[in-house]
Amino acid sequence: MAERARYLYAITRNVDPSPLGSTPALSGGRLDVVEHRGLTAVVSDVDLREFGQEGLRENLERLEWLEKVARGHDTVVQAVASLGPTAPLRLATICLDDEGVRRRLDEWHDALHVVLDRVEGRMEWSVKAFADPVQAGVDTSGVPEPAQGGGAAYLQRKKSEQTAREHREADAARVAGEIHDALAASSSASRRLPAQDPQLTGHTGTMTLNGAYLVDLDEVAEFEATFHRLQKEHPDAALALQGPWPPYSFAVLEQ
Amino acid sequence: MSVQPTDASPVGQIALVDLLDRLLGTGVVLAGDVVISLAGVDLVQVRLHALITTIRADMVEPR
Repeated sequence: MAERARYLYAITRNVDPSPLGSTPALSGGRLDVVEHRGLTAVVSDVDLREFGQEGLRENLERLEWLEKVARGHDTVVQAVASLGPTAPLRLATICLDDEGVRRRLDEWHDALHVVLDRVEGRMEWSVKAFADPVQAGVDTSGVPEPAQGGGAAYLQRKKSEQTAREHREADAARVAGEIHDALAASSSASRRLPAQDPQLTGHTGTMTLNGAYLVDLDEVAEFEATFHRLQKEHPDAALALQGPWPPYSFAVLEQ
Repeated sequence: MSVQPTDASPVGQIALVDLLDRLLGTGVVLAGDVVISLAGVDLVQVRLHALITTIRADMVEPR
């Protein structure tokens, strides 16, 4: 018989979990809740062959499996976030039984309440900025070609290209910093995540800002207005706004 | 003309790369009974990004 374990999706509190009955769990089962000391963990049964140490090590390498689990995890987290304050757990957090789940809720009780206080009534927005690849082309039209294009002239041209590129990168980084500061001032909390590789984003420009912003649901209009103002002020930054998402980037436990 | 991301998605739907950044890089980290070490997760992320890159490279038309 297959050994079962409990997959943890998210922690919430003071919610009626019955709407979760219509949300599909991973492995095709149903969602359950484990309640302990005012906290509610949303969990479901998974097979330890798939989600045990050995299975995970193999499965995490398979993009198809990972995408399925990430999407399934996100579907549940979104459903929980529509009910109340939600602290999403990292992918593939597995306890052997409900007692194990309760032990974690016990151990992290205070920190989890702090996280839920922080995200209550708030959602996450993502803003990305890109350095326009068109500008990355070096404009050398103003530089007169020497009659005799010797090695020294070549090196000189290379050097001025390099200097121009460094200036553009510094400018793009400064603009990204300004954009982030303005958005941070219009949100409850903010984080800069590592920039994503151009090949992952499908965007030809270099990502200069991968910002996450926790926005109070009462202040969404103000945040969006700030974004649109910045978009007008910095047309070259190719600003992209996405959300609302569950507060993934802000459910960090303080140690 | 600026190039739009190839995975322009409907509102609320998170691009896989954004989702993985968050599900592996942020979020509440509780040590469960099945332990994948942090280093292990970081490695997974690196491999994954390489993997997605490969898939993307096939999808994105050469410019």
